[in-house]
Amino acid sequence: MTRSEDHQLVARAVARQDAAAFGELVRRHQSQVRNFLRKLTGDIATADDMSQDCFMHAWDKLHTFSGRGSFIGWLLKVAYTTFLQSKRKSKRYAEILEQVGHVSEAESRTYTVQSHEVSDLDKLLAVLTEEERAIMIMSYACGLSHREISDATEMPVGTVKSVIFRGKEKIRTSFDIKDHQHG
Amino acid sequence: MTSKIINMAERIKDAQDRLLESMFDAAPIADDGFSERVVRRIRRKLLIRRLTLPAAVIAGGVVAFKPAAELLAAAYKVLLGMPDDLVAAATGNLPSLQLIVTGGVILLATLLSLNMLEE
Repeated sequence: MTRSEDHQLVARAVARQDAAAFGELVRRHQSQVRNFLRKLTGDIATADDMSQDCFMHAWDKLHTFSGRGSFIGWLLKVAYTTFLQSKRKSKRYAEILEQVGHVSEAESRTYTVQSHEVSDLDKLLAVLTEEERAIMIMSYACGLSHREISDATEMPVGTVKSVIFRGKEKIRTSFDIKDHQHG
Repeated sequence: MTSKIINMAERIKDAQDRLLESMFDAAPIADDGFSERVVRRIRRKLLIRRLTLPAAVIAGGVVAFKPAAELLAAAYKVLLGMPDDLVAAATGNLPSLQLIVTGGVILLATLLSLNMLEE
């Protein structure tokens, strides 16, 4: 799976409106996008729905991919934007429910996410803010460079570095990580 | 050079980095028809986009048919009410059918050539 192959597929998909070429890109990158969103949302079904929306947005905006960075970096930017948009929508939905007196329903939606089996990684991610979580996942789970994360989150590289540093510090203090060090 | 140093600095990992990487590490998610579902949604979207213009033209044609027919009928009545010599003078100045057909064919050929050039 090379970068130039990705770029060729993007060019084909854009120039000929080729759904099959885009399908190949989806096949190549679905695992990373779904993994990213699963870790970010903590809910498999929500993340998979969001991943489909992410790829639909990617199809609509494919012509904006400049080819400067990696395609997966660009795709994760779309995924992160999709996540933020969906969160804003559900927040508005919860606010409306609250206004009309359906507090219990709004609460039950939050509970659904929290009621899943909690892994070590979930505990670890829980101490981070949403922004820190997204950046840490991009860095440690998806293997993006600081530059790529900076492009994806539209933050300066220096800020990305300090967010990662802060995240690591939080994890270190919350879980006494020195006791588990290896290597 | 500076970017190379930055990349090298990024690659220097401490024990916590390695621990975090191992914790974040996950098995690849099987496709299980996911990409096929996305492609199907895209094809549906493309089809809807392609059908929108012809559908709008047909709908517009259906809506406009009755008023257009009424307009033509009214114009025909006006034409019938005009003096015969005035109608004869006007039709005498109209271009011949042969000229209209030739002009139409040239226009169509030009439009087709422009379309082919654009593609």
